[in-house]
Amino acid sequence: MAISDMPMLSALRTKMQWHQERQRVLAENVANSDTPKFRPRDLVEPKFDKVGGPAAGGGMGQLPMMRAQGVNISPAGASATFAQNNRVGYETRPAGNAVNLEDEMLKVSANQMDFAAASSLYSRSLGLLKTAIGKR
Amino acid sequence: MANDTSDFTRSMGIATSGMRAQAGRMRIISENIANAQSTAQTPGGDPYRRKVPTFTSELDRTLDARTVGLGRVRPDMSIFPTRYEPGNPAADAAGNVKVPNVNSLVEMTDMKEAQRSYEANLNIISATRRMIQRTLDILKA
Repeated sequence: MAISDMPMLSALRTKMQWHQERQRVLAENVANSDTPKFRPRDLVEPKFDKVGGPAAGGGMGQLPMMRAQGVNISPAGASATFAQNNRVGYETRPAGNAVNLEDEMLKVSANQMDFAAASSLYSRSLGLLKTAIGKR
Repeated sequence: MANDTSDFTRSMGIATSGMRAQAGRMRIISENIANAQSTAQTPGGDPYRRKVPTFTSELDRTLDARTVGLGRVRPDMSIFPTRYEPGNPAADAAGNVKVPNVNSLVEMTDMKEAQRSYEANLNIISATRRMIQRTLDILKA
């Protein structure tokens, strides 16, 4: 088992991937804030089960890999595709554009902070592993 | 993933396209403001016609993302206001001069809006850069 396949690290990795992809979706929304008929999009937040795997129906848009026995491993660094949420935006301007710049900026800063939290947790977990193997 | 471009690179590319589009919009707005008094050279001729920028959402194939671009610049077809000024070389037989259909107030508000959109895109770039920095910080752990 690779280090990155540990449940904690793989859950954090998925979360960081989600934030990365969400940043792209939000950048699209902001860049198109003046494009007529443009509807903003967002991603559905991933949910995790107790051991850090993707929970069923958690908006991952992909079937979780089933394990016949404990010996089957999932490929490390596999990219998950995340479900899109098209029902965002609550006001549409006459040109058909529904991007709310304030709302998007709020999401961008929240996304950035959550990403910082996840990456801090990731480095802390790595530090914990280092302590466990006796490196100071 | 479809290609090797990471999502962070794409976010940066998308925000850059937004900044480029808003800068182009600023160029057109400044053209309009600069020509707010440009009347015709010939008697009874048409003065400067206001230009309106349009935006289009386009698919960038190298980035594999929906970027924004400046579409065709369309002329504003609203009627020209007239001013009675018989001494002007552009005056028609009745002494009226057609003046450009540029409203400085509208242009200034448009300019502010372009500025704000530009800043929003700039914010995306700084946020993305901070996220990349956080990713690199994992290496230091």
